[in-house]
Amino acid sequence: MNCERIREQIPECLAGRLDAAARERLVEHLEGCSGCRTEVAELNAVWRAMESLKSVKETAPDPAARARFLEVLEAYRAGMGVAAERPQRRIGWFAARPVWQAAMAAGLVILGVFAGRYVAEPRQESPEVAQLKGQVESLRQLVALSMMQQQSPSARLRGVSYSEQMSQPDRQVQQALLYAVSHDSNVNVRLSAVDALQKFAGDPEVVRAMVDAIPVQDSPLVQVSLVDMLVQVDARGAAPAMARLAVDEQVDEVVRQRARWALNKLGGAR
Amino acid sequence: MGLDDEAIMNEVRTGDVARLEVLFDRHQAGLVRYFVYLTGNRPLGEDLAQDAFFRVLKYRHTYQPGANFRAWLYQIGRNVYADHLGKHKPEVAMPQEAPEIRGSETPPDREFQKKQEALLLHKALAELPGEKREVLILSRFLDMKYEEIAAVLKCEVGTVKVRVYRAMRELSDRFFALSGERAS
Repeated sequence: MNCERIREQIPECLAGRLDAAARERLVEHLEGCSGCRTEVAELNAVWRAMESLKSVKETAPDPAARARFLEVLEAYRAGMGVAAERPQRRIGWFAARPVWQAAMAAGLVILGVFAGRYVAEPRQESPEVAQLKGQVESLRQLVALSMMQQQSPSARLRGVSYSEQMSQPDRQVQQALLYAVSHDSNVNVRLSAVDALQKFAGDPEVVRAMVDAIPVQDSPLVQVSLVDMLVQVDARGAAPAMARLAVDEQVDEVVRQRARWALNKLGGAR
Repeated sequence: MGLDDEAIMNEVRTGDVARLEVLFDRHQAGLVRYFVYLTGNRPLGEDLAQDAFFRVLKYRHTYQPGANFRAWLYQIGRNVYADHLGKHKPEVAMPQEAPEIRGSETPPDREFQKKQEALLLHKALAELPGEKREVLILSRFLDMKYEEIAAVLKCEVGTVKVRVYRAMRELSDRFFALSGERAS
């Protein structure tokens, strides 16, 4: 065996991970090769000295980091509970069966005609209750916007999650989420903001902003998340942008692959 | 004895996200050490480890059942570090402060010599290119087997073997150049 192949096994030998047969061959080679003996001596000296560096970094992690993580985990679980209440899966199942769709649509038309004929007056909410609901909603938006401007990433993350729970988030929240997607320094906040934008996906301006945000992202994870969201909301207008992204050498290979998949899903593939 | 990492991660993947707490407790310290070795900055190392666990949570559905959890976690850790470097160029080098030496029974002159040695080695390690430093961190400081490192780096075991040797060779050259001697 040549010296190069033997030397490549030295670190494994020093770590005690070389099997008996390979170790035997190594020793046999060393007996007749002074160059490799010197190599073993040098690497052994450095390998052993590295032990002293090992102890330097082995301080116990900050307990506050654990507490922060558990807090986010709890917030995430709470968010999952909210998401589970949304009937997204049923919509997917329903959309996959055109016969059921047609039958249900016809049923709804008939129901609408009867309802229009026999229900004399629609029930109206009292103005006080409506006003109160409006005030609560405004307060929630204010809290979410304020949290999204905090210095701490975990507070911003909570702000984004909070905005997801609003029934009618306004344009200011929408703009704050779009800003977070493109400019927040924390990747997790950006990822959550992408998720939170789902409820605005009916707005073509939001779709356009999400498409524009992809090339300026420095995180492939966020780029993939944006692509996934565009597919999830069936943003067919994004197909040309996906076609460009699929061949863009500047972006990560994973992102290009995902863009090709998205193009296929959005019906833009030739 | 509790469940292994892979079984727990599978529970997390299928929706029992609270179980991630167990994996956090098992791997946080190692992951923090990985980042501290890479960046030389403990608070930053703790933040990056936190980020990596957030991503495990976020991308739990991409975990392949049965795949080595630690290797998958460190793959995520590498992405977190790459994103960090993308935003904070140039690369953060390890600080050059004198490390503390463990053990009190060493004679004072030998202790001084060991301290000097550790300081030079620390400096040599900080000067290594990032990918060489990383492979040494995984193999020497985190005691990962070559198979596991290959899974983290997404390469062949043979490639890991060559990379570890070359990294050791370069570290050794830099160390002896700084100390002005060669082993005999």
